[in-house]
Amino acid sequence: MHGVRRSRESREAREARRQREQEELNTYLSLQEDILSRKKDKDWSKDAFDLTTRMLNKNPEFYTVWNYRRLILLNNIFRNSSPHEKIDILANELVMTISALKVHPKVYWIWNHRRWCLENIPEGGDDDDMQGWRKTCWKRELYLVEQMLDADPRNFHAWDYRRYVLSSMPIQRPETAELAYTTKKIESDFSNFSAWHQRTKVLPRLWESGKLDKAQSLQQEFVLVQNAMWADPDDQSVWLYHRWLIGSGDDYDSLTREIKGIHELLEEQPDSKCMFSPILATLNLTNACVSGCMETLVHYKRLLIRSHTSRLGPEGTQILREECLGLLKQLEELDPLRRQRYRDLGALRRRHCQ
Amino acid sequence: FDVIVLGTGIVESVAAAALAKAGFKIAHLDINGYYGGDQASLTGDELVTWADARSVFEPDFTPYIAAQRAQFASIVRSTNPLAHSRHFSFSLLPALIPAVGPFISSLIASGVAKYGSYRVLERVAVFDESTQQLRSVPTSKEDIFKSTELSLVDKRRLMRLLSFAAGEFENKSELVGKEQQPFVNFLISEFKLNSKIAYAITYATAFCSSADEPTVSALSRLRTFLRSSGRYGASPFLVGHYGGLGEIAQGFCRAAAISGAVYILGQSTLPAYPPSLENGNKYSFQIENVPEPLTADIVLSAQDVLPQSLAKARGPTLDECGSSVACGIVVLNRPPPFPPTLSPASGERDQTEDQEGLSSGIVDTAVVVFPPSTVSGGSTTAAAHALITGQGTMSAPVGKYVLYFSLPVDRRADAKTALMPYLDAFVACYPNNSRPTSEFEVFY
Repeated sequence: MHGVRRSRESREAREARRQREQEELNTYLSLQEDILSRKKDKDWSKDAFDLTTRMLNKNPEFYTVWNYRRLILLNNIFRNSSPHEKIDILANELVMTISALKVHPKVYWIWNHRRWCLENIPEGGDDDDMQGWRKTCWKRELYLVEQMLDADPRNFHAWDYRRYVLSSMPIQRPETAELAYTTKKIESDFSNFSAWHQRTKVLPRLWESGKLDKAQSLQQEFVLVQNAMWADPDDQSVWLYHRWLIGSGDDYDSLTREIKGIHELLEEQPDSKCMFSPILATLNLTNACVSGCMETLVHYKRLLIRSHTSRLGPEGTQILREECLGLLKQLEELDPLRRQRYRDLGALRRRHCQ
Repeated sequence: FDVIVLGTGIVESVAAAALAKAGFKIAHLDINGYYGGDQASLTGDELVTWADARSVFEPDFTPYIAAQRAQFASIVRSTNPLAHSRHFSFSLLPALIPAVGPFISSLIASGVAKYGSYRVLERVAVFDESTQQLRSVPTSKEDIFKSTELSLVDKRRLMRLLSFAAGEFENKSELVGKEQQPFVNFLISEFKLNSKIAYAITYATAFCSSADEPTVSALSRLRTFLRSSGRYGASPFLVGHYGGLGEIAQGFCRAAAISGAVYILGQSTLPAYPPSLENGNKYSFQIENVPEPLTADIVLSAQDVLPQSLAKARGPTLDECGSSVACGIVVLNRPPPFPPTLSPASGERDQTEDQEGLSSGIVDTAVVVFPPSTVSGGSTTAAAHALITGQGTMSAPVGKYVLYFSLPVDRRADAKTALMPYLDAFVACYPNNSRPTSEFEVFY
């Protein structure tokens, strides 16, 4: 391995280590054989349960053993427990997965076990609330997800899990609260694909339910995304969200307004007029701001042509076509690595317009 | 002893801690009964005592007091008593700690950081001459994104400047040939910032003190600050709790004591004798209430505390230096009038979650910069600064805010005269019906 010093081990030490590892290997293999044979024999005893605990501590990726554990819980332990005991057992399972996750945060099987535990929480509560336990556990789960997102706001696994938790909660949180959460994350760092993506999930639901007026909300979203675009045109997540807002380009006014705005942004770049540098090409760098602007302009102008030919008229359409081809030519020089793509786009354009 | 250190100001305390940890036998003495010397943290009553000792006429006083009077030549304080005096921790030298730099590295490495607690600066504002109001200054990509006062073009250009300043700009074409140009002009000509933004960046982000500071030094300082932000929070600065530097000095003394240094506070250190054949070629001090004299090979001392008898080859005294800093401490009963932070983001703000525990909208720890020539009656050559601290830094009771003014002035200037225009301008920023009253003032 790179960077690891070769340790100067004497032959005796090496031999001793090999012996130890062989012993550990033997223990592991015999444990594995034991468990798998018991599973085959449908052994649902407490002893078997404890064996699975031992195995999963060694190797939490062994999903067969997780399945076996769940089968034992279902076929034996849960059958003989009161709801109170059941909730204690499940709480214990959750604690076990937390300590496993601290060491192996990305193992899907541990997360699956958590989901299974949460979904199997019985009805009941410490007070008279029949959903009491469920509410507490799911609320705690949401808190866990928020801690993960505070630590790494771009962890898309965590965002996905967040969507799962929110949809599973016995009392649904209002969508506006979720929108505010994405706003918080975007404000602290708008270079975050997942936060913008979450917005694309939450906003349509709010528009549909009537909680937010779609036209007004769209306006505000455009203002928000423009601020991000102008602050950092290099950031691809912003461009992606902008494309989602434009959608199929049915709204002529928005489309033309945004095209104008991007032209202004392009003008503002100090090197937007200059030719590409051979040095940039060899370093595999492109001027992302400029090419981002240009490519988006091509895409949007195409949308204009496609959706609004009647409004534009034949002259208007022709002008747009030529603008697109001009931009694509510039892009070929600015971003030679993707030259063929721009040529293809240009050819498509011509064919489309016939 | 190997070294005797006189005075427990921040510089002497850091030295004592370093020497003690390195294994030297240290005796650390301070004629005052408190730690911190000229950077001490004092309660309200202690501050009054401090001011009076250095200003009220007395028939005779110790050489230390004489030196202090020479240094703080224009002490003025309000006569009314300060309510809840014990709950205040006033700092004689208000300070910001950059999140990245030699000071914080020493704080952490020495372990002294553990003895205190700190708060991230919340806001920096600049006083706008044309509106006579305070304006927030954006210092990071997030600030720029959220600002509602900047146009889109301004945001783009400001972001370009910050990216430039945060990187390796030394040989970039924008800078070459213009290193000595005044920073404001550089910003306007090279980055096409409008003059308001250029002034805000010059004085409240790069913290230039005067209008003619050259570009290259301002840019270097700006780069340090940009690289410091994000370490503990958005701002590159920390403010120490319980009065800042005084607490930190005490922390270093504690570190020194743990490594074996001996502390004697509140005792006169006279008479003091230079090395001579009689006392074995060591410096010797006779401390009252201590029977044997303390001796050492080396003496480290703060300026005012060094006894005359030992003053052989000193650096230039304060009398010879032309410049000085006018300071003012003012207690107000209202939070600073910062404009609320709106955001271009839509949707309801989740007002219920506010980790600071303070109600949202109240800024507790902030800096206000008054660029030269923006305040009538104020300085035309230097920027004045105001550090505002409240209960968030444990330096004031609930609802009270301490304003620390500072302004470089000529040696002979009167502190209160120099600073009153700034206090008036600040109070005028509040809306008419909620002007604060000044409950207590000290100028020095």
